Amino acid sequence: MNASPVRAENVAKHFGRTRAVDECSFALPEGSVTGLVGPNGAGKSTLLSLIGGLARPTHGEITVHGTPVRGRMHPDVSLLTQQRPLYDQFTVRELMRAGAAMNDRWSAERADEVLDLLAGVEKDAKVRTLSAGARTQVAIAMALGRLPKVLLLDEPMADLDPLARDETLRIVMTEVAERGTTVLLSSHLLTDLGDVCDHLLLLDEGRVQLCGDIDEVLDEHLVVVGPADQDLERDGVVDSSRTSRQVTALVRGGSVPAGWETTRPDLEALVLGYLRASRTRRRVRAQ
Amino acid sequence: MTWVVWRQQRTLFLTLAIGLVVGVVTVLVLRAGSMADLTTRGLLGCVGKGIYECRVPAAAEFQLAWFEKMHIAAVTVLAAPLLIGVFVGAPLFAREYEHGTHALAFTQSVSRTRWMVAKFVVTAVPALTAVVVWQVVVHSWMDAVGNLGPLGLGPFYGTIFDGRSVSPVAYTLFAFTLGMLAGAVFKRTVVAMTVTLGLYVVVRAVALQTREHLLAPTRVISDEVVGAQVERGPLYVASGYLDAKGQVVADPAPLMNCVGREDAQGVVDTAACFRENGLAQRFSDVIPVEQATTLHLVEGSIFVGCAVLFVLGTAWAVRRQT
Repeated sequence: MNASPVRAENVAKHFGRTRAVDECSFALPEGSVTGLVGPNGAGKSTLLSLIGGLARPTHGEITVHGTPVRGRMHPDVSLLTQQRPLYDQFTVRELMRAGAAMNDRWSAERADEVLDLLAGVEKDAKVRTLSAGARTQVAIAMALGRLPKVLLLDEPMADLDPLARDETLRIVMTEVAERGTTVLLSSHLLTDLGDVCDHLLLLDEGRVQLCGDIDEVLDEHLVVVGPADQDLERDGVVDSSRTSRQVTALVRGGSVPAGWETTRPDLEALVLGYLRASRTRRRVRAQ
Repeated sequence: MTWVVWRQQRTLFLTLAIGLVVGVVTVLVLRAGSMADLTTRGLLGCVGKGIYECRVPAAAEFQLAWFEKMHIAAVTVLAAPLLIGVFVGAPLFAREYEHGTHALAFTQSVSRTRWMVAKFVVTAVPALTAVVVWQVVVHSWMDAVGNLGPLGLGPFYGTIFDGRSVSPVAYTLFAFTLGMLAGAVFKRTVVAMTVTLGLYVVVRAVALQTREHLLAPTRVISDEVVGAQVERGPLYVASGYLDAKGQVVADPAPLMNCVGREDAQGVVDTAACFRENGLAQRFSDVIPVEQATTLHLVEGSIFVGCAVLFVLGTAWAVRRQT
């Protein structure tokens, strides 16, 4: 039961009165690739840094392979933070040497392999001269050189052009295929997530809204379309929008009134539905 | 880890080394110049005596030419700890936090404590070495010129005392660790530098004013109740008058009775007047020259003690998680 690569139990992280992460409980299955989605400020980065041991939860506990995360990086975890912190004045080669020096377990071959993928990164180039894509590749090489069993990626594709984005995903997918690494990656790019993820963790205002296998989650939901004069008065409506002619809604579970057209949502429609609902809730509260 | 820190600080170390080499060469050239001057003026015999015992015009001319230069060199030894604290200590952690590179170290398997200790040791050792080399070079010049130079001011003179013995090392450790702690706490380079600068100057100013109380002074008693008594060298803690029983006269009234009481001829035997008023002897509480090293060690250990606390504080700040 505790063997889950990453398990969170009632994890909360408060910054003063702000609840960045609030009562989060979930478990990631071994070898899964989980997309971490949610609106801006939902607590995605905070959650990742809690799992990585960069920050300490206000309460609750996170375990990696049954070992509680307390104040330091779990040896089996690699975290790529959004800022991609690297020593800018080092060359790529020197940075890899630093990686070897700062880790008990380090595979120079694995790091080099990642650097040689795609167009390849010039190893004698100073890190600060690298393009955004190459910088991300170097950061991923740093992360994978530790031979992690759990890989946490915070917005790995942000700031990348479509080609670099695609290639970055390919590096991650190769890692998963070759080593069975459990991956948790946050992203706003829903189409990309659909290609690589088999699980979904949807956060809103620090709380887990959805967690599970993407197919199962999609099966639980329906997009229903019905006439505008009918009200959809029932539980399970995540989000609904109305035009003069029809009502479209995303509903979770249960049956649908007769005469309504139903379709299974795709990942994008599902996530967008939840994001829209989140915004509506916030707007209502602000009024 | 040592290599990582060394590589990170390489530019800094190089700057430090270049600055030190330029400084050392300058001082060695000046030293040679002043020694040649001493020989030319035939003053080599005066080196051990000083300007007061060696009253020859050549000595005064020599001082006119060299004293200021040497004093400036002495002041640079005092400035070195502050520069190290502000420019090496303060950015040590603040810059990592500012650039976010602390997260790079924290996401590797090296522990935060080890990271902090490695950064501290690998950076502090070259910085301290530079200060010590600079101190030795400058003071070899001062020693060579002896009492004709600033050393003639006595071992307790502010700019001399602070630059000798263990003091520069103790001050450097203090300033460096203070900067390091400020950087780890405030996480902003400019803030850390400012805090270090301000606190260091204040603490040193306080130390300068209070160091005479660190040792129990020696009481020097003289039967001569009037006339100049101050001798160059010892550090004066207090002075005053004693009555016939050897007690300190705290009441200034007897002294006031004798001041400005000239007789018709405009002369007054002040000494006699003092004795009539019960001022039997004069005393000075001093820290003698021989105790200079003890005072260096006592004061230095206080600064090093603070430095130890600052290192522990930095470890706490680095390990603390927000």
